[in-house]
Amino acid sequence: MNNEGFYVMLVKKVTADNKLSLLEQQVAQKDYDAAFETAHTLKGMYANLSLTPLSQPIGQMTELLRSRTDTDYSALLNEAKTQFTKLCSL
Amino acid sequence: MQELLERRKGLKRKILIVDDEAIEREILGYMLSDLYEISFADNGRIALDIIKQEKLTLSLVILDLHMPELDGYSLLEILRADNELRRIPAIVLTSEKGAEVKSLQLGAADFITKPYDAPDVIRARVQRSIELAEDSIIIHETERDELTGLFNKEYFFEYGKRLDYQNQLPMDAIVLDINRFHIINELYGRNYGDSVLKKIGGYIHESIQDTGGLACRFESNGFCIYLPHSPDLNERLEKHIDKYKNILEKQNISIRIGVYSDDGSGLGMEQRFDRARLACQKLRNNYSTSYRVYNDELHSKELHSERLINDMDKALAEKQFVVFYQPKYNITGDIPRLTSAEALIRWFHPEFGMVSPGEFISLFEDNGLIRKLDKYVWNEAAAQIRLWKEKYGFCLPVSVNVSRVDIFDQMLGETLERIVTANGLSHENLLLEITESAYSDNSLKLIDTVNKLRARGFKIEMDDFGSGYSSLNMLTSLPIDALKLDMKFIRNMCSNRKNLSMVGIMIEIARLLEVPVIAEGVETQEQMEKLKDYGCDVIQGYYFSKPLPPADFEKLIEKELNETSY
Repeated sequence: MNNEGFYVMLVKKVTADNKLSLLEQQVAQKDYDAAFETAHTLKGMYANLSLTPLSQPIGQMTELLRSRTDTDYSALLNEAKTQFTKLCSL
Repeated sequence: MQELLERRKGLKRKILIVDDEAIEREILGYMLSDLYEISFADNGRIALDIIKQEKLTLSLVILDLHMPELDGYSLLEILRADNELRRIPAIVLTSEKGAEVKSLQLGAADFITKPYDAPDVIRARVQRSIELAEDSIIIHETERDELTGLFNKEYFFEYGKRLDYQNQLPMDAIVLDINRFHIINELYGRNYGDSVLKKIGGYIHESIQDTGGLACRFESNGFCIYLPHSPDLNERLEKHIDKYKNILEKQNISIRIGVYSDDGSGLGMEQRFDRARLACQKLRNNYSTSYRVYNDELHSKELHSERLINDMDKALAEKQFVVFYQPKYNITGDIPRLTSAEALIRWFHPEFGMVSPGEFISLFEDNGLIRKLDKYVWNEAAAQIRLWKEKYGFCLPVSVNVSRVDIFDQMLGETLERIVTANGLSHENLLLEITESAYSDNSLKLIDTVNKLRARGFKIEMDDFGSGYSSLNMLTSLPIDALKLDMKFIRNMCSNRKNLSMVGIMIEIARLLEVPVIAEGVETQEQMEKLKDYGCDVIQGYYFSKPLPPADFEKLIEKELNETSY
């Protein structure tokens, strides 16, 4: 994309978005159906804005959640949260 | 189609972007808002409402598959199921491989994968999907008659021929015309006429669903139906006729149906319809809804007429047409005197023998060939007058027919002038007979033409007087030099009191107009004497002589010369 201002505006919107915490909740409640949808949406959003540090861990989570794998997602979630915080502080 | 044209005028096309994720909507919107007018929806249900509202002006829907309330797949299915909404192309946004196939199968025009490709790719895909959808609308609408939704004539024949080529099945052709449709439009208005067409078209469309086949709107007042052959076609037609009568008779509208029933001869589609049309035209003067099936009799008559038309030029060149002359006698004196002759055409066809004028005159009048024939007769008659002048020393005037078609020829006066001059005759030698109905059909034009001819010196005789539509007030202003009473009055004048009186009245009219009267078709002495009593001037008919070839006519001339020399 070639409009820097537009990009920045969108990234700001990402930082204001609360889906990441929603994902955390859903995983904690083991509501994997809902979690899959959320992760999938997030992955798309981050990928579209080329926010690779975020889309990577979320992407992995999405694949696991696709088959509703019951595992420990905390590592991936933490990774995502860290990157997210970094983004917010930019 | 209207809307399509509006869009083509250069207004931005409208796109609906459906995604529950705000950021997604923004990105797409950003990519496309330069070229298109964008609206958004964040769930499937809202999207459906918007699509229904904007269905006439929406060019494209871009939708995400994963949405609350109504997901992408369901929305696609709903759109495809609706006749109008399915025309709007839908592009699906998806990040899963499997989704692509499914969405295409559900009727999506295209898909865009997430994460998004370069904006140019996306813009190109959007444009392409819109173009394809619009082209297909245009094709569809070009094929159809706007009012009835049936095919238009061109595509009907195109598809019909293709059908024949592929299937080679026996097919029936039906031609349906609304009687006197232009009058219906005049009396009740265009809208009414259109509603009639729609009703009939609707019924035809329904019946086609049952039988199979194609139907089209043919010109302004008719329809054509091309359907698989059925042996019980007549019964079906009876049922259809009843149905049409139900639909239409309250409104005093009738239709005529011509049918060509397949007879195994494997004709081309257009030929089948020519024959169906032929049968249909035979019903032209009927006042009720009816049908007619083409049969061989019609066919052979048609073929015979075709032959005559085709052979005409050769016949002219080879002089198969011969001019006969029927004498006219002046009966005002004690002894009848040969005063003039009428030129009558005869055709000696090498194959058919003597073809009577009844057969070919109206045929040639219909297609305009009569003009060639008339010119031929004028030239022959003029030449004959000259020959007799040279042989016998006096000019016997000959009358020739000028048909309605000739009246419209700009060069008529000049042509006649040239013929007369070329043969060294004066204008009164070549008398011109014009039938009465020509006067009442095209009065102004005709009167103008006749006046110009008389100005040159030609004399005009009104032929078949009493059989046309002259009104009483026209009579006093008609430019004519003689009246010829129609044969029909003479035929029964002695056995029918009314006819006798009519003849008397018509002769009075002639006296009023101060022109001589000629009676045609006189066969008996009794008729002759009565006519003489009434003051008729000239007699033409079998009583004196039937039409004769020149050589035989000359005997009459010689007889006349001998008698008058005493």
